[in-house]
Amino acid sequence: MSASVKRRDLRAAVLLGVPVLLCALAIVVPLVLTLIISFWERQMIGMRPGFSMASYALFFEGARFSVLQRSFWVAISSTLLMLVCAYLVAYLITFRLPPSRTRIFLFLLSVPFLVNYVIRTFSWAYLLGRTGPVNQFLQRTGLTSQPIDWLLFSDFAVYLGLVAAYMPFMVYPIWLSLSAIDRRLIEASWMLGQPPLGTFLRVVLPLSLPGVFAAAIFGFVGAFGEVAVSQILGGVGYQLMGNAITSSLDVLNYPMAAAMSTVVVGCMLLLLLLWLRFFDLRLFLGKMLGR
Amino acid sequence: MMKPWTRVLVWLCLAGVLLFLYAPLFPPLLLAIQDPATGQLTLQNFGTIHSDPTLVGALMNSIILAAIVGIAAPLLALAAAQAVRSFGIPRLIIAVILLPLFIPGVSMGVSTSLFFNLTGIDPSLLTMAVVQTLWALPFAFLIILTVMSGFDTLYLEAAYTCGANRAQAFREIELPQIAPGISGAATFSVILSFNETIRTAVVQGGNNTIQTFIWSRYQQVGLTPNMYALMSLIIAVTLLLILVLVALGRKRQPAT
Repeated sequence: MSASVKRRDLRAAVLLGVPVLLCALAIVVPLVLTLIISFWERQMIGMRPGFSMASYALFFEGARFSVLQRSFWVAISSTLLMLVCAYLVAYLITFRLPPSRTRIFLFLLSVPFLVNYVIRTFSWAYLLGRTGPVNQFLQRTGLTSQPIDWLLFSDFAVYLGLVAAYMPFMVYPIWLSLSAIDRRLIEASWMLGQPPLGTFLRVVLPLSLPGVFAAAIFGFVGAFGEVAVSQILGGVGYQLMGNAITSSLDVLNYPMAAAMSTVVVGCMLLLLLLWLRFFDLRLFLGKMLGR
Repeated sequence: MMKPWTRVLVWLCLAGVLLFLYAPLFPPLLLAIQDPATGQLTLQNFGTIHSDPTLVGALMNSIILAAIVGIAAPLLALAAAQAVRSFGIPRLIIAVILLPLFIPGVSMGVSTSLFFNLTGIDPSLLTMAVVQTLWALPFAFLIILTVMSGFDTLYLEAAYTCGANRAQAFREIELPQIAPGISGAATFSVILSFNETIRTAVVQGGNNTIQTFIWSRYQQVGLTPNMYALMSLIIAVTLLLILVLVALGRKRQPAT
């Protein structure tokens, strides 16, 4: 009896283990391979195995380094901007809406997110254009006499595009951790004489940090490796890391693309490790795991 | 409890966010039904879609890919979610399966295309399906994990006590309970596959999906009214699929 149970369990283990292992390999192996290829040498056509820092040296010396710097700056500043927006939305729907409405709002938030953000970004290019609806509206209401040029092909447009693309998704982790806060703690803080701002800064905000950090990673990932928003809304020559990587691919410089991609992924993994170091995954996913 | 004007402020704020997010869903339709020369309303741009053979091929590819991803991603996610419960390493499995969420699309695309390049696998529908499945997997996984957390494993114990084996217990007890979650994950995966550009574009080779087709048209010649017609059709189909998702969610609610 026990032997047969064991055999069946083994079968289940294989049935579950093989696909999970395959997924894990499909996710991890290409990333490791990219790290290895980043040290290979470039040839006229393709690449040759070896150990050379040439791609990294070229990356950190040349014009691409300014792209990295700009990407860093754009990613960090836009992530902060998106965090403020997402936190405000998450806070309002958690504490200022009845629970039934919260669910409806979260659903409404996810509908546009599911429509390809490249298409939505094309739409923004139209909306913000010189003769687009936004400029027409501003002129008709008399706020400006001339169409505003910096609405499109500018930093403003890129930030707007990034917020539109990634902010909705950042609301979820913040909402998850806000809704997990025990309301009695907030009441206790109130009864002990803290004003609302004090309660927020000393109770609500610290308890929601796991969600905030997770949201920050999502925003940063999106903005740092961005391709479409910078190309469509940034105008000619506006490059972020994603654009630099794809243009390296276009000229078949695989080691360079691999090196830049490795730097980007390395930043992400560093952030992810920091997150796992400071916050318990189970604390955050506890609701989903049901334990 | 809340002062009336704070309530108004809250609603205004949330309505503003929704306006900001929904505004980009309408311009493609507006640009598609307008004749660029005369400004008159026309449906011609929709009519010319099916006369472009590349586009029809791209549409077929999109549908095939959506079907593959819609089957593969939820099944793999189900296996992973079951493994989280029965293997002793839940954190490791969760971390690895969710990893694609934290990797920028370009990097994920570059890595998989380098992998295919070295292993001698030419770009094809298969490579595109792999990339899209890895992208849909974390979402499908989270959905199924959520549904499974609402299922009491005590039922499984009861099934084992009644003499069922593992497969029977899963098929006859757990599966009916979590089935709406699995179909929800499948629908979600189809939507994600149908709306994915950047990762797919890196491994597309000579093939196109409607999304990469629009993207490469944009890069080569710019957008034309019939591209906008295509975009508004994509938006319409996506909204329709979301309705399916809602209907599936409705069905789940009375059960739990």
